[in-house]
Amino acid sequence: MLPIDAAAHSSRWRRRHPVDKAVLGLGLTVFAISLPPWPGAALVLVTALVVLLGPAGVPWRRLWRAYRVPLGFCVTGAATLLIQVGGPNGFVALAEGGPARAGQLLLRTSAASLGVLLFAFTTPMSDLLPRLVRAGVPAPVVDVALVTYRMSFLLLDSLRRIREAQAARLGHTTRTAAWRSLSGLGATAFVRAFDRAARLQSGLAGRGYDGTLRVLVPDARVSVRFTAASAVLLVSLTALTLVLERPLT
Amino acid sequence: MHIAEGFLPPAHAVAWGVASAPFVVHGVRSLTREVREHPESTLLLGASGAFTFVLSALKLPSVTGSCSHPTGTGLGALLFRPPIMAVLGTITLLFQALLLAHGGLTTLGANVFSMAVVGPWAGYGVYRLLRRFDLPLMVTVFAAAFVADLSTYCVTSVQLALAFPDPGSGFLGALGKFGSIFAVTQIPLAVSEGLLTVLVMRLLVQSSKGELTRLGVLVAGRETGANAEAVAR
Repeated sequence: MLPIDAAAHSSRWRRRHPVDKAVLGLGLTVFAISLPPWPGAALVLVTALVVLLGPAGVPWRRLWRAYRVPLGFCVTGAATLLIQVGGPNGFVALAEGGPARAGQLLLRTSAASLGVLLFAFTTPMSDLLPRLVRAGVPAPVVDVALVTYRMSFLLLDSLRRIREAQAARLGHTTRTAAWRSLSGLGATAFVRAFDRAARLQSGLAGRGYDGTLRVLVPDARVSVRFTAASAVLLVSLTALTLVLERPLT
Repeated sequence: MHIAEGFLPPAHAVAWGVASAPFVVHGVRSLTREVREHPESTLLLGASGAFTFVLSALKLPSVTGSCSHPTGTGLGALLFRPPIMAVLGTITLLFQALLLAHGGLTTLGANVFSMAVVGPWAGYGVYRLLRRFDLPLMVTVFAAAFVADLSTYCVTSVQLALAFPDPGSGFLGALGKFGSIFAVTQIPLAVSEGLLTVLVMRLLVQSSKGELTRLGVLVAGRETGANAEAVAR
């Protein structure tokens, strides 16, 4: 199981309905990109961090391991705004106002990423996917996504074992050997995926499979109090942004 | 590299979502029809989605000395066709955003457009075009994977240049800036992905002719004949 999904399964908010967490987490993400980066995105960033480490109970080490990935992309992406091409200062020069634009982008992306991580760290995919049918996603697509989700872990595990076996046979010692091992890994993943699909098909056919995958979903209700509190928090962030924005600018 | 969460302004995020929607809806219709006619396809398509997701876990040695992962769009388009890849690519990108914090939900539309729409269609188009000239299967496979990878990053450069035009030279300057940054890593990576796809396809031709014929990649009596055998060897 992947670290974020494993953390979601043992989250304090695991039993909450995904809609509750979507309103808060994805709401923070939407507000992070919609409000002015300063002070709006900064406020969203602090709020998301407090909720993640506080009420949601996500261990900071786990959060940092997951957060440093998008943060790396944010930093490299924002760095491109520091330079400009053409203009009176030469073909490549430092952009006027570049640091401010890069800083605003960094604030926006890092705050938005935390909002999504709040949702991801508290909502296992197995709770979310079956409920998408009610949201209007066609059932066959949800079924395919469910099989994809469950089979991904098996394939990742297979790949890890094959990679270890290849390494034990000195399969990564030279560049040629590494390429041969890598191609073998890709082809084996394909063969195993299809083999598993065929065996799953045989097993399900014996149990009266009619094309629909029925799975148990933990019972949960949308909490009006939690959703209302999330909405109040988001509105408060907007109001605070508007109040702080004027004197600061 | 996917566009990270929150990187695009709201209007751009919505616009790319709208641009991707017809392709994804078309793919969903194809997939739904396929599953209704052949219920057993659900498992095969799920396995294909898992294969596409797992491809991104393969570390690819880069000519520049760094390491990256294949996009898998070229191989996926050849094996499962572009309309299905639009759906499988969307599912994969959603999983990457939520399970790996790679990409994002607000940038899902833009990432779907580059990785699940343009990449597969460009790669598949090149594949079909070159097959008309009776070129060896593996040459067309390399070209398809190379073009699919490179077109994905070209579109990403356009998306970023539209969102962040250069203060001095506008959209074209920004396109050159983002394009040249990507070119340093992505041209070698596109070559690497093309080579990897050829090697994977060679092994598949040898070991999984049945599956490839069922998927329509190999035509019985053609690629399974001397042509593919010679190239595969």
